[in-house]
Amino acid sequence: MIQVLISLLILISGFLFAQIEPVSDLHSNPSRVWALTNGMVHNEPGRFLKKATIILRDGKIMSLGRYIKIPEDAYEIDLEGAHVYAGFIESWLEVKKTQKDKVAQEHWNGKIRSEYQVLDDFKPDDTLLKSLHALGFTNAHIVPESGIFRGQSALVSLEKSPVSFNASVSQVLNFEYSGWSGKEYPYSLLGAIALMRQTFYDAKWYEEAQEKWNTYPEENEPIKANLSLASLAKSRQAKKPFTFMTRDEHYSLRALKILNEFNLNPWLLGNGFEYRRLKEITEMKPFIIHPLDFPAQPKVLDPNRALQYSTEQLKHWDLAKDNITRLNETGIHVAFSTHGLKKKPEFRQNLQSIIDRGLHEDKALASLTTIPAEKMGLENSLGKISPGFTANLVIVDGEYFDPKSRVVSLWIRGNEHKIAPRYLHNFKGKWSVSLNDSTFTLDFSILKGKGGKPEKLKGIFSSKAHSEKLIQMDIFESNISFSLNGVPFGFDGIVTIKGDLKKDQLSGILLDASGKNFDWQASRKKEKAPKPRKKDKASVLALAYPEGAYGFTTDPEKPNAILIDDATIWTSGPDGILEEYDILIENGIIKKMAPDIRVPKGSAWIINGLGKHITPGLIDAHNHSAAASINEGAQSVTAEVRMSDVLDGDDIALFRELAGGLTTANILHGSANPIGGQNAVIKLRWGKAPDELIFSDAPQGIKFALGENVKQANWEGSRYPQTRMGVEQVIRDAFLAAVAYKERQVNYEKNARLQRVKIPPRYDLEMEALLEILEGKRLVHCHSYRQDEIMMLIEIADEFGFTIATFQHVLEGYKIAEKIRDHGAGASTFTDWWAYKFEVYDAIPHNATLMAKNGVNVSVNSDSDELARRMNLEATKAIKYGNLSEEEALKLVTINPAQQLKIDKWVGSLEEGKDADFVVWDGPPLSVFTQCEQTWIDGTLYYSLEMAKAMEARDQALRSSLIQKILSTSSKVDGKLSVPNGEKHQGHFDCSVSDEVRFLEVNE
Amino acid sequence: MKRLLQILLLTTIIFANDQIPGSIQKHPILLKGGILHTISGDVLRGYDLLFANGKIIRIDEEIIPSPETEVIDIYNTHVTPGFIVPVSQLGLVEIGQVKQSRDFAEIGKFNPNVRANVSYNPDSEIIPVTRSNGILLANVAPSSGRISGQSSLMMLDGWTWKDATMLHPTALHINWPNMRIRTGKKVKEKEKVQKEKIQKEIQALDDWVRNVKAYEQRISVHLLKSDEKQIPDIRLASMIPFINGEKPIFIRANEIRQIKSAIRWGNKHHLDIVIVGGRDAWRASELLVKFDVPVILQNVLSTPMRRFEPIHLPYEMPKILSDAGVQFCIAPKTGYPHNGNIRNLPYEAAMAVRHGLPKEEGLRAITLSAAEILGVADKIGSLEPGKDATFFLSNRNPLEITSSVSKAFIQGREIDLGDRQKSLYEKYKEKYRQLGKLEQ
Repeated sequence: MIQVLISLLILISGFLFAQIEPVSDLHSNPSRVWALTNGMVHNEPGRFLKKATIILRDGKIMSLGRYIKIPEDAYEIDLEGAHVYAGFIESWLEVKKTQKDKVAQEHWNGKIRSEYQVLDDFKPDDTLLKSLHALGFTNAHIVPESGIFRGQSALVSLEKSPVSFNASVSQVLNFEYSGWSGKEYPYSLLGAIALMRQTFYDAKWYEEAQEKWNTYPEENEPIKANLSLASLAKSRQAKKPFTFMTRDEHYSLRALKILNEFNLNPWLLGNGFEYRRLKEITEMKPFIIHPLDFPAQPKVLDPNRALQYSTEQLKHWDLAKDNITRLNETGIHVAFSTHGLKKKPEFRQNLQSIIDRGLHEDKALASLTTIPAEKMGLENSLGKISPGFTANLVIVDGEYFDPKSRVVSLWIRGNEHKIAPRYLHNFKGKWSVSLNDSTFTLDFSILKGKGGKPEKLKGIFSSKAHSEKLIQMDIFESNISFSLNGVPFGFDGIVTIKGDLKKDQLSGILLDASGKNFDWQASRKKEKAPKPRKKDKASVLALAYPEGAYGFTTDPEKPNAILIDDATIWTSGPDGILEEYDILIENGIIKKMAPDIRVPKGSAWIINGLGKHITPGLIDAHNHSAAASINEGAQSVTAEVRMSDVLDGDDIALFRELAGGLTTANILHGSANPIGGQNAVIKLRWGKAPDELIFSDAPQGIKFALGENVKQANWEGSRYPQTRMGVEQVIRDAFLAAVAYKERQVNYEKNARLQRVKIPPRYDLEMEALLEILEGKRLVHCHSYRQDEIMMLIEIADEFGFTIATFQHVLEGYKIAEKIRDHGAGASTFTDWWAYKFEVYDAIPHNATLMAKNGVNVSVNSDSDELARRMNLEATKAIKYGNLSEEEALKLVTINPAQQLKIDKWVGSLEEGKDADFVVWDGPPLSVFTQCEQTWIDGTLYYSLEMAKAMEARDQALRSSLIQKILSTSSKVDGKLSVPNGEKHQGHFDCSVSDEVRFLEVNE
Repeated sequence: MKRLLQILLLTTIIFANDQIPGSIQKHPILLKGGILHTISGDVLRGYDLLFANGKIIRIDEEIIPSPETEVIDIYNTHVTPGFIVPVSQLGLVEIGQVKQSRDFAEIGKFNPNVRANVSYNPDSEIIPVTRSNGILLANVAPSSGRISGQSSLMMLDGWTWKDATMLHPTALHINWPNMRIRTGKKVKEKEKVQKEKIQKEIQALDDWVRNVKAYEQRISVHLLKSDEKQIPDIRLASMIPFINGEKPIFIRANEIRQIKSAIRWGNKHHLDIVIVGGRDAWRASELLVKFDVPVILQNVLSTPMRRFEPIHLPYEMPKILSDAGVQFCIAPKTGYPHNGNIRNLPYEAAMAVRHGLPKEEGLRAITLSAAEILGVADKIGSLEPGKDATFFLSNRNPLEITSSVSKAFIQGREIDLGDRQKSLYEKYKEKYRQLGKLEQ
């Protein structure tokens, strides 16, 4: 509140504020009443006044109009030919934190610093001010530069001693994490999101706790002060915006999900990829601050090097500059920033480019002025040239949206900052010189500076017969001096020539070696009109879902009815294998199965089953595709992290897996810690937004892990635990804590007096997840290898009264099959991986069969993007090793994993009433010589051989046309390289992969 | 009691921890009436195969056995030449994550002199598991640095590494420099600097070639005074047969620019090179054919390198190379964590067959083609009289996962097909029998 008050005071007192300081020499009191006349005034977006007068008085705009009376005390400045705009707002300017802020009341996590006010650190240097002033920025929205909860942004004037217009604009958040080399939680995107969520709960709790403590100090223990939580609570109460920084459209969706969950005022730092999920992103109408930083031109000259670029990188190069227009078209408010631009002047070239491509100039002006002013609470003070507004003006020698025109001066709070000379002394061009009764030609041209060096003028002096290069040259304001060899022109030796420029006339003297003087004059020769500029054009490319390759440009086929006619049906259900059988599917559900079903002609999509085999869609109980982040290994228990937060349906692995008949996958957290994160069971609905992948009926689950990975045996680490003994204690300890948490909660909830006077128990997402396990509402999927650790976990589960849903990998499960069966757990195993680390030396490929024959529900899993494309063949190995029947073998990848994930009510077998998730094979599904021809999910055709071929041809054509376009475009503007879309690791397994792999380019 | 005895008997055979190497073939053996995948010729159904003293003697429709000949009736059984792994670390590492068991990567960048076979552990548990699936020969190779060392072709049977060595050296192994130009935020090096670094790496290899040639020239002259004599250089000396073209150089190169650059390099120095890896080989097929460079193709069972490539591209690669006339064979992936699963080599070939390669060509890609590239096609890789009796018997086409190997011979020695995994299987089957829970 005090901060707000101060900023208000500053605003009211205006220039007087400076007088708080003692005067060091004499008082300086300039007049500060100005009349700016004859300018072309763009007073607000969409409006302008020709030859208007603006009266400024003591930092404010007093009046504006075409025929207004100039006050007698005003000094007049003639702006003939100039354009005047309201001062622009740079909407995103990151400021380095300089002060050390280790205080006792800070949050336990160093990345949470909501109390921090960036204003405290904003001391702009001349270089920064110069670069922003040159673009017309008089104000900036400054933001803190590091942390997850980074602190509060502010709106300031861009002056040497900045004045704050709003000291706390918004809370700024970033998905920041340290990666595996980090020292502090979170290591991963998973953890960063979980920490955000928990912190919002904590802030709410902290507010309540404070209140209880203040009201009933005698009843409560004092709680530890936490400035971050206090500040968050305050921002929320005040309905302050929460700004999330995003890197691509997935981050936008993730941010919006949290903003929505906690009902916050949504702001985003945009990323340029929003067009890819425009519908989903614009739904909540977030305010987007959009850097005008666009992708660099891909280097495709060498066709081999062009292969380094993924198609959507090429496509993004074409589409990125249309993003703002597309956002605008949906009614989203966008503000601009130079954030990310290495060379700030490119801002205006990029701006011109997006205007060329269809953004209306009025919209562009609004994004620089009124929109940010209004969003940041200064709609009555900034962004327009209007009486009562702050006297912030941009004076341009032409139209601002033409990058050739120059910002010549800025007015900030009624004080002028000169940026560039009002008129340029332009020597460039051809001059007709009369000298010594002869006529010569002088030709000045501009030499482009290489490697950041400034431009240079060079010149040639010529008569009809000779021409000589100018040797030395010097320019100061309107004066030019140069030297050249005078001999060919009849002078003595090297001559020096001086001249003075007055618009289109040059005059001066020539001095030759003998000391003789000659007068000379020159007039500018008329030049040909420059060629009209080639305008940038908007992209004409259709969007694909997802971008990159094999995306859908139209919705996938979903016939109302499908008839599978005369096929061999592997039901994986009680009916076994049915020969020459029919299936009727309606609205995505299996309606009927019978030897002969007839439908009216043309009423159903017919699949001719002759020679074809139909199986249920395959299910992988252990998979890491479509996950942008896999392991949160910073702590040994991270039950609070959720795979559903980081789903990335654009992962090409999904399409490749569909091509192998996979329809459902259990996307698990990695195995870096004993209690990992919450899983996400998905259907492989290719092209859909992340949330639409989720198998909504599937019960929630969580990943546990035991053995070498969690005790960090195969890499450096000193986190507890380092032994299997410690692993047991960590898990036991977690459950004991959860039980105690529950008791406290129940106690509080049933006692009205406690509720009235006591600080409520803190809502803890980690404990909530653990409790759900104990209550049987969350399935445990435990990565495990050795029999000892499997027995250990069974014992703990028995003791705490819950059942492990599956042991994952469970490579020594064959040694204690009866224990697993008696406990009631499922076993989801690799088929034949072994000997890569010590704990898998006793792994045998007969594991699946031996467990199955002893009554364990067994599935085989992939844990790899590659194996997941041929799960049918993994199942076949159970026939080879241990002689399982074909029918039972197929169940290892159909009904068994469905039962393990408790989704067998809907999928896993072909039975009436179940989801129409099925695969059409061109032969027996367990043979190496068989191929998947079609894959259907919910009666929708997500993959077929023909479809893939057609998409491939389409994408290859797109690729070559994009490369053609790039080759035909010359671009001087630099930019960043866009992130390839889901170019991930090659099949990994054993889940010990790290994050960030997504950001690798093509694998070596 | 009787049962227990049976088990004891079984365990004494199977629990001999390491399987006992086969003894020398003492009498001729006639396999009668099998399905012979000759590879060099047609599939012969119902043919007889006679082998003696470790060599194939005759293949015919009807062979009359001599009295001392052992006759094995193999009606409907497939006979296939032993599968050959053209590159692997078999025997050089037991457990990838256990440093103590790793012997495939010497320290330093240039190790042309190190020899794989001397650190091949014939008692590795991985070996019997691998040969249980019909893989009877493996070229084992060092893999670190720029020049990794020399590989050796091992028979997967023998008391010592010397017994097991079939040929050494088979090739010199080089890892071609990465030629990607890295771009993006995190890259600090300028493009020019990156290009210079790549050039330097290749230049270093050029220098090795020159130094070896100079070294060879000096030592080939015998008339020098003793103080002018060349002092031995173990690295340079070891490279002579590879630089003068007697033996091939296997160059690991996957990305197109690597492959092209490696071919140019080999051509410039007149070397006999083979591309190992070859994920982009199909993009360079014309060049490979033109300069007669074979490819040891890895990564058939893998995902495409690039998002925009055909989703089944790695599966289709053998067919594409075959159609283009490129000489190639199929290899499993090497290194962590693949060493234990070399046994899945036939399924790489099977996937290639599923995607267009004719069945017998699929078999050839893991038998005779490998033998040709390794320079041992005169001894192994097909069923032909005069060649080693190195083959195995299976109940189905050996590319099918469901097929199982019933007998195997290496140079006529019958191989013990037991392995660590089968032993553990038997052991725990017994546990469930004791618990009365498993009928078997």
